[in-house]
Amino acid sequence: MRHDPTFWLLARASGLTAYVMLTLSILAGLLVKSRPFRTLKPAAVVDLHRILAMLGLGAIAGHAAALVLDTTVKVSIPGLFVPGLVSYRPVWTSTGILAAELMVLVYASFSMRKRIGPKNWRRLHWATYAIFAMATVHGLAAGTDASRPWAFALYAVAVSSVAIAATWRFIVPPATARARRPAGRAAEITPRRRGEQPA
Amino acid sequence: MSTHLIQIDRSLCSGFGSCLKEAPTVFALDGDGLATLLVAETADEAVLAAAASCPMGAIAVFDLETGQEAA
Repeated sequence: MRHDPTFWLLARASGLTAYVMLTLSILAGLLVKSRPFRTLKPAAVVDLHRILAMLGLGAIAGHAAALVLDTTVKVSIPGLFVPGLVSYRPVWTSTGILAAELMVLVYASFSMRKRIGPKNWRRLHWATYAIFAMATVHGLAAGTDASRPWAFALYAVAVSSVAIAATWRFIVPPATARARRPAGRAAEITPRRRGEQPA
Repeated sequence: MSTHLIQIDRSLCSGFGSCLKEAPTVFALDGDGLATLLVAETADEAVLAAAASCPMGAIAVFDLETGQEAA
């Protein structure tokens, strides 16, 4: 009797779903500042960015659960958290584990922003590029479907869209700077007496 | 208690809206979705928390008496 493929199919589907959610969340995050679509309110895009990241983490949880329940590849529960314990393509499964753990860290940092400070929170967000690279490599090298044309197209679209959005984000000045010259950081402000109206 | 002068660097502001939650009487989002000031000066200490909460570090608060940056 053939083994039940349900969880194996779920593992593949949830892995791809997580990758799509991660990609969309990154794209939303990159749009917050560069704002190519001026009608989008940044606060709404930030909410979307967080929700997509949360959905991505949910899909990763499903991916992990399905891999444990499935019998095609033997994955233990510690194997989900500790890189190197999975015998199936150990380097590339470990890459996925590290990407997921980093993603949890970056996601959790949003709630800890006040404690760690905005600067550290933004620095930690740089890890997202590593997460995306690792998730892409993990999907291509460990994914069962990576050799299918549709899956390859998915990875190609994801990588190129993130590359374009990131380039836009860093090359094109922010929308506000385009609309008006920045007033400059008021570092050299002179003390004024109480009662004077600001210029 | 000192009076605070608030400045928003709108080229940094990304419209997170965290300042509004800390000091709703001082900050608002404009039609562009970016933070704007309802008052230029205030004695409300909540502006210090608002400046600290800004993810982009776009809010500067100055002590009006000394001219020193307070947050």
